[in-house]
Amino acid sequence: MRKSLVLLGLALAIPTAVLAHHGWGSYDAANPITVQGPIETLKYENPHAQITVKTPAKVWIVTLAPTSRMQVRGAPAEFLAVGKTVSAYGYPSTVEKDEMRAERITVDGKTIELR
Amino acid sequence: MLHEAPQLLMALEQSAFASGIRQSTWAYMTANVGHILALMLFISAVAIMDARLLGAFAGTPPGGVVRPARRCAALGLLLMALTGAALFSAEATHVASNPVFQIKASLIGLGILNAVLAGRLIAAAVDRTPAFTPLPTPVRACAMLSLSIWFATAACGRLIAYF
Repeated sequence: MRKSLVLLGLALAIPTAVLAHHGWGSYDAANPITVQGPIETLKYENPHAQITVKTPAKVWIVTLAPTSRMQVRGAPAEFLAVGKTVSAYGYPSTVEKDEMRAERITVDGKTIELR
Repeated sequence: MLHEAPQLLMALEQSAFASGIRQSTWAYMTANVGHILALMLFISAVAIMDARLLGAFAGTPPGGVVRPARRCAALGLLLMALTGAALFSAEATHVASNPVFQIKASLIGLGILNAVLAGRLIAAAVDRTPAFTPLPTPVRACAMLSLSIWFATAACGRLIAYF
């Protein structure tokens, strides 16, 4: 009985599919970058708001903070309206291509800390 | 199966329920806080139950401790499942492919299996064991297994954010 339980446990524990994932430990804090350009899309959603920012080189996915924190710190959805120019300082993802996590963002001369 | 699962998860993530949780200012936060509070209820009940089975509080007959604690643990588990389902559906595809979440889900399965299989064994042993008497070894083994599984599950829950 116990042996079959152990075997069952092992079978369950072996990940069935290792796909790309999105974790908070997976950002390269040693190599901060600044991404600047117009906001192309805005997802003002939990657990983290996300914008895409067009730069001459590529379109970045910029991961922000939970929406409640954004609101408290003065960055409601209107602050990040599509078309506005944003400057995002943060860390590139080591897992997801063209994605970065923003430490702070500046829009209309106003800087919001996101951590 | 492997090809169907991501589609099912995508449908869940794109459901009105899941997008409602993402778009609400308070829903995700509430589910997150609720999940932690439910965890406190659950793990405290589990710890008291398993500690009694392992020989703590020996002056109290085990039945009087284990039965109510087991009911509290079941309520805690139900609340964790409800709040956890809300958190999971908001990010179903990302979370499901996270290796730590996969380990956590397996541990939850094992923990419930252990609780159900050990349930009858424990109920019988608890009924015929008076105070100051150690419970049979298999019962203590199940209690030890339960504690280990649930602490590991909680650790995995927090670690999802780091892998």
